Amino acid sequence: MSQFGTYTIYIAFALSLASIGLLLLGVKRNDFRQLLAGRRAMALTSLFTTLAAAALTYLFAADRFDIQYVYSYSDRALPLFYKLTAFWAGQRGSLLFWAWVLSLFALLVAHNTRHDLENRTTPYIYLVLGGTLSFFLLLLATLSDPFVATATKGFTPPDGQGLNPMLQNPGMIFHPPTLFLGYVGFTVPFAYAVAAMVTGRVDETWLKKTRVWNVLSWVFLTIGIILGGQWAYVELGWGGYWAWDPVENASFIPWLVATAFIHTAIIQERRNIMRVWNMVLIVLTFVLCIFGTYLVRSGILQSVHDFGATGLGGFFLAFMFFTILVGAVLIIASYRDLKTDHSLESYLSRESTFLFNNVVLLALAFSTLFGTLFPLLSEAVTGNKLTVSQPFFNRVNTPLFMALLLITGLCPLIGWRKASADNLKKNFMGPGAATFAGALGLFAAGIREIYPLLAFSLSIFVAATIIREFWTGTRARAGLTGESALAAFPRLLWKMRRRYGGFVAHLGVVIMVVGITGSSAYKVESQATLRKGQSMAVGDYVLRYDRLGKYSDRNREVYVATMSVFKDGRSAGTIRPEKRFYSKADQPTTEVSLRSTLLEDLYVTMPTISDKTVVTFRAAVNPLLIWVWIGGFVMLAGGTMAIIPRGRRRLITHEIEEE
Amino acid sequence: MNKKKRNVRTLAAVLAILGALTYLIISSVSETGIYYRTVSEVLASTSLDRALRISGKVVEGTINVDQENLILTFAVSDMEDRTRTINAVYNGVVPDAFKEDVEVILEGNYDRSSNTFNVVTLLAKCPSKYVAEVSAEDPANQQYGR
Repeated sequence: MSQFGTYTIYIAFALSLASIGLLLLGVKRNDFRQLLAGRRAMALTSLFTTLAAAALTYLFAADRFDIQYVYSYSDRALPLFYKLTAFWAGQRGSLLFWAWVLSLFALLVAHNTRHDLENRTTPYIYLVLGGTLSFFLLLLATLSDPFVATATKGFTPPDGQGLNPMLQNPGMIFHPPTLFLGYVGFTVPFAYAVAAMVTGRVDETWLKKTRVWNVLSWVFLTIGIILGGQWAYVELGWGGYWAWDPVENASFIPWLVATAFIHTAIIQERRNIMRVWNMVLIVLTFVLCIFGTYLVRSGILQSVHDFGATGLGGFFLAFMFFTILVGAVLIIASYRDLKTDHSLESYLSRESTFLFNNVVLLALAFSTLFGTLFPLLSEAVTGNKLTVSQPFFNRVNTPLFMALLLITGLCPLIGWRKASADNLKKNFMGPGAATFAGALGLFAAGIREIYPLLAFSLSIFVAATIIREFWTGTRARAGLTGESALAAFPRLLWKMRRRYGGFVAHLGVVIMVVGITGSSAYKVESQATLRKGQSMAVGDYVLRYDRLGKYSDRNREVYVATMSVFKDGRSAGTIRPEKRFYSKADQPTTEVSLRSTLLEDLYVTMPTISDKTVVTFRAAVNPLLIWVWIGGFVMLAGGTMAIIPRGRRRLITHEIEEE
Repeated sequence: MNKKKRNVRTLAAVLAILGALTYLIISSVSETGIYYRTVSEVLASTSLDRALRISGKVVEGTINVDQENLILTFAVSDMEDRTRTINAVYNGVVPDAFKEDVEVILEGNYDRSSNTFNVVTLLAKCPSKYVAEVSAEDPANQQYGR
């Protein structure tokens, strides 16, 4: 079975190379049959990657510890669910997952373009997909074969080393695959973009055709990042969800650029400008997705000396360099075609707010990338290893986020093309007044620090502009159709979901900002060592340590402390932090106990148990934290809403409505 | 407004944002940047006036925990030269992975006169096998537990 897996990878690699060869020949000789064969070879690749993925899944399920990868990430006591998902717990399986998903996406693209093979761009789309797929299959076939046998031949270890206990958490199971779905997804728009440039068909067709891919990949990337944050919050036990850690940044940087891209894509579709810009952004997004995959799967950030230590680094760097080179050459070569006579008509226009939103998003991406790579840069340049961490990112990025919020609020107040200052003033009045009143209220309520005050006020501003947008749309619809406002509003959202999906996503961002600001600026923490019956206070809460219990299940022993919670003197249930000792791990894990309300989270961990009577507790009150997740959900709902296809029949009327 | 003037205005605004970004990055690096040193380097250097991050190994038999007051003291040795050590004092919660002979990263200030490092942040490297192959899938496999 293990050899079967390796062979399927070899076959898949050979097929993807064959498809590239056939497609190149077909393009060169203009031979339709060869193009067709190339397409078939690409589609067939997915069969063998699927077999490889199935083989690995089987090996995990069958406890085949003679396979190094299975031995490293699983053991007999692991529940089946975690055995199967240990698939992507390590580098090799993750790369196989990447290749597998990409091959399925390529199959889907091949299906969607089955009638377009005569179209000159189609073979190039396949070529980019096949090329990227070949790169990953090359890694799997050489350096990163997940089916390699355990070092000693002919000896099967009786048990595996087990899965890192911190990964034995449902959130962690879905976090890597969703992130990868996002990363892989951006390969498709990148392929369309390259094909458009190679063939000189650089109108907005490629954007229209890949819109769903763009937004859906963005949605998956967003889900992946949010799940990662949620996992960090409930599993790592330090009380937060985001630490500007290199691996977090690795997913956030492509997200920022992708977000910039899906915004200016709208501008190009509407106004046929920013064509060069969009090409630059999609190339950047793709390269950063590869970079993200590489970063989280290697140890480069520990030191420059680890650079390429696994040999994988060199491959990834070469691939990224090649991609940037190809992208740059293509953009320069097709600059004439891409350039348009149109330009921004006025700096006071909705288009220009998109431009500024892009500048700020890219500034955020740059500063995050800079901070992430800074230790490497400083060591390479000065020989001194200077590092930056959370304070750096908070200092640089917070003002940029504020600027982004301001732009998000201003955008819908400014008309397309050329807005008059008078018009802006008129539109600004309502939201401006709401913001001013809100800011005064917040100030009176005791929120005096500059950033929280600014963040909350800007949130009110953006929310007000969105509500204003909802209101004018509803009124217009109600006036036209005679519906009541209550009936008109949901119908408006649904009928024009592409437009209002965007606003819903922004509303989600605002909700998230409220949650992030509340939980980071007004967090209260406390720690104490208690004996049974003793209490500690944190915020408005008093926690009384009642007892310590112990139970064992499957692969671990668990100590659980029971604390009575009192809020403002009234009983508010109990909370049970845990300390888990996994049989296969040489260190315990601290399990968070959470009491979540709409107003605040009570977050308790038990870092140290010295004996049965004395226990150290750490407790935190994180105000408004749940709104981070709610906002994330709303943002995702908005993004998803914007790409639900319209019925064919009504297409025309909608086009009119949206104008 | 003619096209040229318009472009100049837009360009000026973009440049202003980039200028602000440059300023933010440079000032933040100089104010929040932390030097990463080994124990030997700390012992050898003469001027240490800013916050430091050092890596080293916890020396066996030196861990002392005052659980009531949450004060942890231990000695860290240089990764290579195990005879060079610094005393460390930490007030706070001990990470799960912290124990004897484990690699730690300390952030804080070094006091030369008492050869003591006042630890603000204590990170302990997971000694486990997970590090070997997949170093950092996520904070999950991150080498340093919080």
